[in-house]
Amino acid sequence: MTSQSKGFRKINWGKVGSYAILILLALLYVGPLFMLVNTSLKTMPSFMKDATGLTTSLHFENFSEAWTKANFPKYLLNSILYTAAATTIYIITAVFVAFPIARKYIKFSGAVLTLFVIALFLPPALIPQFQLILNLGLYNNPIGYIMLFIVNPIGIVILVNYIKTVPKELDEAAALDGCGYFRFVWSIVLPLIRPAIATVVVMHSIGIWNEIIAPTIYLTNKDYYPITRGLIVFQGVYGSNWPTLAAAVLLLTLPMLILFLVLQRYIVSGLTAGAVKG
Amino acid sequence: MSYHFGRGKSKWTPYLLLLPGLLFYFLIALGPSMATAVYSFTDATGIKGAPIRWIGLDNYREFLFMGRASVDNLAALQRTLIFCAAVTLIQFSLGLIVALLVNQKLKGTNVFRTLYFMPVILGVVIQGLMWSLFLYPLGGPAAKLLSLLGMRSEFLGGQPTEAFAWVIFIQIWANMGTTMMIFIAGLQTIPSEMYEAARIDGANSWQVFRNVTWPLLTPSVNTNLLLNIIGSLQAWQLFLVLVGYRNGTQVLGYLIYATGFGQTSGSVTSSFRQGYAAAASIILFLLVLVIGMSVQYILQRREARILG
Repeated sequence: MTSQSKGFRKINWGKVGSYAILILLALLYVGPLFMLVNTSLKTMPSFMKDATGLTTSLHFENFSEAWTKANFPKYLLNSILYTAAATTIYIITAVFVAFPIARKYIKFSGAVLTLFVIALFLPPALIPQFQLILNLGLYNNPIGYIMLFIVNPIGIVILVNYIKTVPKELDEAAALDGCGYFRFVWSIVLPLIRPAIATVVVMHSIGIWNEIIAPTIYLTNKDYYPITRGLIVFQGVYGSNWPTLAAAVLLLTLPMLILFLVLQRYIVSGLTAGAVKG
Repeated sequence: MSYHFGRGKSKWTPYLLLLPGLLFYFLIALGPSMATAVYSFTDATGIKGAPIRWIGLDNYREFLFMGRASVDNLAALQRTLIFCAAVTLIQFSLGLIVALLVNQKLKGTNVFRTLYFMPVILGVVIQGLMWSLFLYPLGGPAAKLLSLLGMRSEFLGGQPTEAFAWVIFIQIWANMGTTMMIFIAGLQTIPSEMYEAARIDGANSWQVFRNVTWPLLTPSVNTNLLLNIIGSLQAWQLFLVLVGYRNGTQVLGYLIYATGFGQTSGSVTSSFRQGYAAAASIILFLLVLVIGMSVQYILQRREARILG
């Protein structure tokens, strides 16, 4: 905001007040994170003695212990597999849904789009979805689990809106050159709408990665657990051993934070775009 | 709209390629979503191959009127509304204030913005475990702070109302960033000439906010309000991670999950009352629908009044 025209004194007070509020609030966000780091470096006895005191040791063993005891490599691999598989299937099918809708290359394209928007307002699909997976024989099965995540209506809406900004003349020119429909979408449209694809992919992946309800419902075999469920189970067993538990949580938090800082632009645009449409 | 790619048979290519996405959507999202209403009139269980009988409105009758359980159900419904009101009110106001603060020309606002948004990305499990540690009752940071004031608390393991209040707090902590980001996006669409004009007319900060920012922010106000209301009516994942299924804290969303899939989850048992849970889903859906539509109606009238 442009409030620079006023006297120095007044502006400074505004600034001081703003910073004071922002920093106080920031403590609420840094605090839990700091507590996590601090605890993860402690030994159990020193945590029991004084939970909040600054750690005097750098007990990195907590991390190696968490890594092996929480079965991290296995769960991480599962999470990566589920997220990658479901997101890939979703984004490929989504582009071929969004493109003809945006271009009105199919009849009733408006109605088809509405069909996707409707889902945002309908009852939760939880129970019938379970019945479906159960009766397909895909309960406690990675394929059934992945199937749950190959749909995302908000992503379709974002893609449609973005494709509308790609000039239509491109279609005509490509067609004149004898380029087929599939090849056109795949090798010309796809690269052009990369920003929207990135947004949708990032948004969709985060949703799958952080999912906790679906794995508790659908996966009973430990070998299939994604990392979220793995952490909850680990908490159940090691709940009182906070140094190791904190190390486990941190092992998952750090890569997420780094990814967040790298992909922040797409994450924010995905969440706000999705929000505005929803 | 003309179609450029081929004629005859190849004219059907777009339909053919659209089909997988559309089919998945029907099978996994739209179909099951609508089938919830159908299941709500049955005695379906979570057992494969078990017969499903049509029982009319029995599930609804039982949910709302029968015995001890219905008292708990209605308490959960009431709690859902309290949760929604508290979360919406605080998250909306806080998100707006913070957006206004970080949208100033100040150094370091980007850092604050990123920090406040961080929990959104970490997800409920990490959010929950982080706060479980911070609220560790035997000498954790929050307990230490309270003891300085001569107080003590069991936090998430304490009285139900206390645990419930903490979940509200953490829910807001976790999602305030999204509200803030939407407000920031809205603030950035307001042309700076509007502020300058108001300043030249001698308006003070409050008047500028009241007469320029607030009315021009209407689209993001509407979005955030609806999003917060609908989101908080349906939110319950943090309860799962933070307190588990505990009497006196459960909201409708959790109740649906617990009756449909067993309270602690894990292995399938015969007590999965999925027809009953579907009826509860429909009740929650109607609640969301009625509240959402009313708010939408009020917001639209307000928007028409403000923006003409």
